[in-house]
Amino acid sequence: MRNVIVPRLKSDSLAHQLVSLYETFKNASPRESLFFDFSQINWTCPLLMLPIASYINSTKSDFISGDNSNVKSYLSAISFPKGIDSISEFEQQIQKFKSYIPISVLKKEKYEEREKLQGLFESMIYKILEVGEIQGIRNAIFYPVLELVGNIFEHSKTVKGFIFGQYFPKKNYLDICIVDQGRGLASAYLEEKDLKLSDDAALEEVMKGHSTKPDKERGYGVRTSKRVVCEGLGGEFLLLSGSVALISAKSKEKIMSLPNFYWQGVVIAYRIPRPTMPIDISPYLE
Amino acid sequence: MTDMIKSLKVIKIAEVLAPIMSSRDVVDKLLAPIRKTEIQSVVLDFTDVEFISRSAAHELLLLQEEFHQKHKELSFENANKDITQMIRIVAANRALPEHSKPTFKAERVSINSLI
Repeated sequence: MRNVIVPRLKSDSLAHQLVSLYETFKNASPRESLFFDFSQINWTCPLLMLPIASYINSTKSDFISGDNSNVKSYLSAISFPKGIDSISEFEQQIQKFKSYIPISVLKKEKYEEREKLQGLFESMIYKILEVGEIQGIRNAIFYPVLELVGNIFEHSKTVKGFIFGQYFPKKNYLDICIVDQGRGLASAYLEEKDLKLSDDAALEEVMKGHSTKPDKERGYGVRTSKRVVCEGLGGEFLLLSGSVALISAKSKEKIMSLPNFYWQGVVIAYRIPRPTMPIDISPYLE
Repeated sequence: MTDMIKSLKVIKIAEVLAPIMSSRDVVDKLLAPIRKTEIQSVVLDFTDVEFISRSAAHELLLLQEEFHQKHKELSFENANKDITQMIRIVAANRALPEHSKPTFKAERVSINSLI
């Protein structure tokens, strides 16, 4: 098993979180067993922790938390790396660690249980933000999670999805991450539409709303979610598949190539500042 | 659950699904029995349902169209403002779809520029 030192984050920006994720998995062979060493980190984030948790769950990988007691207790509070996959476990974990939302593992075959667990996750995120009943905020928080998690079970051909969120009250923002290790974007276009696209081109097709499904009314989920996050809530949005990642903020879009890196599946992360004003998401739903 | 749903005229969504309706496959599986029902008029009761995804709304509208084609009726009741709005947005898109997809332009950079 190869040892990987998880690098310390240069800053808390989504771009620097992506750099840490990139450096963690750079040069890894497909499904290679890795031993993640957290001894260098003193702070972490969903975009780094959730892909690692999902990777450990699906490969014969392991981790060591290091000597930092804060990191150790944080990993325990979020149920890293196994996560929880039932409503009862979720409720127990929330009782124990009030302000931490555990990593939640959504299993395709569980149907109603999965739907209810996802609902609990969303309700908890909303509760933890303490925004009260400001008009439209509940919709704006729920919409992207619903659409992006839904995509896992509609498109990825995998049986598991991972979701995780962390509210940082001192920094006043919420980070959400959604991960799958399914077929990824380019393979979805190849298998469903017989389109051979690079990761970059497949990502661009997604953002243009070209669904892999034949129904012309589909293909809205990612783009409209990104609009709700970036335009509606003033946040940042990241979508990664294969060897590319899109980082979007309100007025700029960057597609980053990730040489010697390949994520089998899709990683989505976004950050929103704690909302304080009413919002109407309908203009972004197209 | 499946047999129970088949015989119901009024289906309380919050009881058979969840207070937040998300995934298309869950909606499809749990409402599949009502596709086969002999009952002419079925009501989906949204009492205590907080929100539905766009995908779930789309799936419900497809089901409603199937009912109409079979000269049966599927109606939605007690939906809150947010659910009503979501269903209306998707329905409007079905009735009057956008012909052109939006453009997308992004700057290309390597991650190495950040390292």
